[in-house]
Amino acid sequence: MLNIKTIDDATINQRVYQLNLGPQHPSTHGVMHLLLTLDGEVVVKIEPIIGYSHRGHEKMAENRIYEQYLPNPARMDYLSGMIFNHGYCMAVEKLCGIEVPRRAEYIRVITSELNRIASHFIGTMDYAMGLGAITPFLWGWDDRENILDLLEMISGSRLTYSYGRFGGVRNDITKEFYDGTRKFIDRLRSRFWDYENLINQNVIFIKRSKEVGVISKEDALAFGVTGPTLRGSGVKYDVRKNEPYSAYPEFKFEIPTRKEGDCLARYQVRMAELEQSVNIIEQALDHLPPGPVRAKVPRFVTPPEGDCYVTFESARGAAGFYIVSDGTRVPYRIKVRAPSFSNLFVLTKICPGHFLADIVAIFGSIDVTVPEIDR
Amino acid sequence: MNITQLPYIKDIYGFLGSDVMSGLVGLLIIAALVPLNVAALVLVERKVAGHIQLRPGPMEVGPHGILQTLIDAVKLLGKEMVTPGLTDKPLYWLSPIIVVAPAFVGFIPLPFSPLVQIKDVNVGFLLIFSFSSIGVISILMGGWASNNKYSLIGAVRSVAQNVAYEIPLLLSVMPIVMMTNTFKLGEIAQAQSGLWFIFYQPIAAIIFFIATTAETNRAPFDLVEGESELVSGFHTEYTGMRFSLFFLAEYTNMVIAAALFTTFFLGGWYGPVLPGAVWFFAKTYFLLFVVMWMRWTYPRIRFDQLMNFAWKVLIPIALVNLFITAIVLKVL
Amino acid sequence: MLTAGQKKLLVELKSSLAEAVPEGQISESDYAKKGYHLEVRLDKGGLRRVAQTMLDKRFMLETVTAVDFIDSFELVYLYATYYHQYCRVLTRIRIAKDAQPYSVSAIYPAAIWLEREVYDFFGIRFQEHPDLKRIINPDDADYFPLLKNFGKTKFTDQIDDILC
Repeated sequence: MLNIKTIDDATINQRVYQLNLGPQHPSTHGVMHLLLTLDGEVVVKIEPIIGYSHRGHEKMAENRIYEQYLPNPARMDYLSGMIFNHGYCMAVEKLCGIEVPRRAEYIRVITSELNRIASHFIGTMDYAMGLGAITPFLWGWDDRENILDLLEMISGSRLTYSYGRFGGVRNDITKEFYDGTRKFIDRLRSRFWDYENLINQNVIFIKRSKEVGVISKEDALAFGVTGPTLRGSGVKYDVRKNEPYSAYPEFKFEIPTRKEGDCLARYQVRMAELEQSVNIIEQALDHLPPGPVRAKVPRFVTPPEGDCYVTFESARGAAGFYIVSDGTRVPYRIKVRAPSFSNLFVLTKICPGHFLADIVAIFGSIDVTVPEIDR
Repeated sequence: MNITQLPYIKDIYGFLGSDVMSGLVGLLIIAALVPLNVAALVLVERKVAGHIQLRPGPMEVGPHGILQTLIDAVKLLGKEMVTPGLTDKPLYWLSPIIVVAPAFVGFIPLPFSPLVQIKDVNVGFLLIFSFSSIGVISILMGGWASNNKYSLIGAVRSVAQNVAYEIPLLLSVMPIVMMTNTFKLGEIAQAQSGLWFIFYQPIAAIIFFIATTAETNRAPFDLVEGESELVSGFHTEYTGMRFSLFFLAEYTNMVIAAALFTTFFLGGWYGPVLPGAVWFFAKTYFLLFVVMWMRWTYPRIRFDQLMNFAWKVLIPIALVNLFITAIVLKVL
Repeated sequence: MLTAGQKKLLVELKSSLAEAVPEGQISESDYAKKGYHLEVRLDKGGLRRVAQTMLDKRFMLETVTAVDFIDSFELVYLYATYYHQYCRVLTRIRIAKDAQPYSVSAIYPAAIWLEREVYDFFGIRFQEHPDLKRIINPDDADYFPLLKNFGKTKFTDQIDDILC
C-alpha cells in the first residue's frame, strides 16, 4: 500500500480535490454521503456526513407509551428488525422484572437467527456487488426470499417486524413455519457450495479484498467497533456468548474470528456466521419446548423508576437500549446504541492511503445500515 | 475474392465502376449488420445475465422477450437529450459521433466467408487497431467535456487502460503474421484450412482474448464505467440518443473483437457442412457468449492491479511467445 | 451471579477508579436489574480521569448520552469490555443547563461522534472537542430536538393523544 499522507490543513496543495460519494450512489447502502479528499486516485481524507434519514426515533419515544413504541425499533435497522424488536422487549422486561416463558425465548432465538442470516446475505453480497460481481447479489436475494416468506407466515411482515411483545411473542409458530424452516435449512446447506465456488475462491475477489482496510485491535478498541467488523480483526467478542441473554446459553455454537482485519477477513467471518446461525436454528427446532408463548403482563406496562441498559447482538454489532423511566407509562428517555454509528467512524482512520475503488470495498465490508446511524 | 467479382453484380451495375459499387454495397452491408448485431447482442446479454442470476430476464415484450431491443430503441429515441450547462459543447457533441467511427470501419476487412468480404485491405487488422485508438480519444473527449469529476476519472482510467493493453494485443498477433506472412485477414483465414491456429498458438490466443476484453472495456476490466464506483464513468452525463451511440459502439467493438479472434485463431469460415458465413457468425457469437459469461461471473479488477497485469505479466509473456515462435519458424 | 474473575475485576476497578476520582461515589449495582455492574456518580468533573482509567483497563466507550431533567442535564458514559469477562461501567454526572464539560475525545476517538450527537440533540457544548458541529440534524438548524420543552413531550401542551 502507498504511504499514508495525512492531510494537514496548512499543507493542502493544489493537487488535492474533493469528490462527493453520495448521497445518491449505486453502492452506498442507504443515503450515505462520503466527502472524499483525493490526490489523483488516492484518498487523503474521508469525512462521512450523516443525517439524511433522521426520523427522530428517540424523540418519538417520549410521547408514546411503551407498547406504542414497539414498531419503531425494527425501523431503525431494518435489516435486523426482528433482533431489534426482541431487544426492545428484553429491555422493558428487564426494567419491569417480567419473566419470559421458555418457548417464547426459543421462538425469539429462531426468528432472530433467521433474520441474522437474511441480513448477512445482504451484507456479504452487497460487498461483492460493490466490487463488481453482480451475480452473487441476486443469488443471495433468492435465498433471502425464502426467509422473508417464512417470517411473513408468523409475523405478517417481511421486513419491519413487530412480532415480539413484552413477556414473549405475539403468536405461536405454525406447523407450516416449522416444516418450511427445516426445508430451508437443508437447501441453504447445499447452497453454501455455490457461493464458495463463485466468490470465495475467485482470484480477483481475493486480490481486491486482501490487505485492504485493515482495522487493528487498538483502533477497534478506541473507536468502539463491535460485531463482525471486530471479529475480523481477531477479537472474540459476541454478545451472545460474552453476555448471554435469552435462550442462547442453551445452544452450542462458535464465534468465528479471523486475525487479519482486512476486508476478506470480515467477509469470511460473515459467511462463517451464516453456518453458525443455521446450527443454532437447527438445535432450537430440535429442542423446542412446549408451553405458553406469552407471559401474563398488564395491558399497559408501568416500569418502576430507574434506568436500565440491555445489549444484544444485532447483525452489525452490539446494539443496546438504554431506557430511563420515571414511573409512568411513557418512557422518559430511550437511547439506542447503534453499532453502525461506531463502526462507520472507523473509516476516517483506516481509509487514507487507499484508492477510490478500495473505499467502496471497505465501506461495503463494514456493512453499515444508514437508517440505524441516523435513527 | 472481392464481392464485386461476383458475375451478376458486375453485369448489372458495370457502368458505375467496380470500386464505387463495392463501396456502396459495403456500406449497405455495414448499415445492415451493425444495428442487427447490436440489437441481437443487447437481448442476448440481458437473457444471459438473467439466467446466470437465476431469473428469466426480459419476458414481457414478444415471446420470451425477443422484441425487447426494439422497444428499448424506441424508448431511447424518444428521450430528451439533456445537455448540462457547463459542458464544453463542441467536444460534448463530437464525442459520441467519433466513438462510432471505429465501429463501422472495423467491419471492412472482416472475412465473413470466402465470398463475402467488403474489401480485403492489405494492411488488414492494422486498420481496425488504429481506428480503435481513435475511439480512445473520443472517450477522453467525452469524459473531459462532461464537466463532472466522475466522468473525468473514468475517462483518464480508460486512456491508461487502452494504451496499456494495445501492446499485448499487437504482440500476440505478431506470431500469426509471422506464420502466414501476410496482414490480410482473408489470407490468414484461408491459411487455417488444415489445423486452426489456436492449436499452434494457445498462449497468443489467451493473451489476445484478455487484451481485447480490456480494449472493449468489458468486465472484469470495466472499471472505466464501473457502476459501483463511478456511477457510469465517462458516459454519466449522456442521455438519450447519445448514450445509445456509446452503447452501439461498445457492442460493435465487441463483435469486431470476437470476429478478429475467430479469424486469427478459430479458423474463420471453416466448418463441415454449413456455409462459411454461418460458421463465422456461430464462432463469433460463441465467443461473445463467453465474454458475457465472464462479465457476470467476475468482480472488477482494481486499477493498479490492472496496469500491473498488463505491463508486468502480459507483455513479457507475449514477448516470450514471439521469440519462441520466431525461433521455431526459423528452425523448422 | 458474578464469577470469580468478574469479582476480581470489579475490585480492581473500584480501587483504580477511587484513586482516579476520589470525589466520585462508586457503587455496585445488580446486573440482572440494571444491565451494568458498576456505577460511578460524579459531581463536578472527572470525566477524563475516568476515561483514562477505563482505557488503561482496556474498556471501550460504548455510548454517550444525556438525559434532560428539567433543571439540569445528566450525562451518561457507558464503558464495556471485551478483553475480560463481561463488565459494564456507567458514569453519570449532573451538570447545569449551561455547563460545558470537557470532551474525552483525546482519550477515546469514538467520543468525537458520540459527543457531537449529544451536542446536536441537547445543546451541551464540550470543551476541547476537535470538531463540534451538527451531525444528524440539518446543519443550519437552530433548535435542539431532545430537550423536554421542544416539540411534543408530556411537558409541553403540544402532546399527541396518547393512552396515558
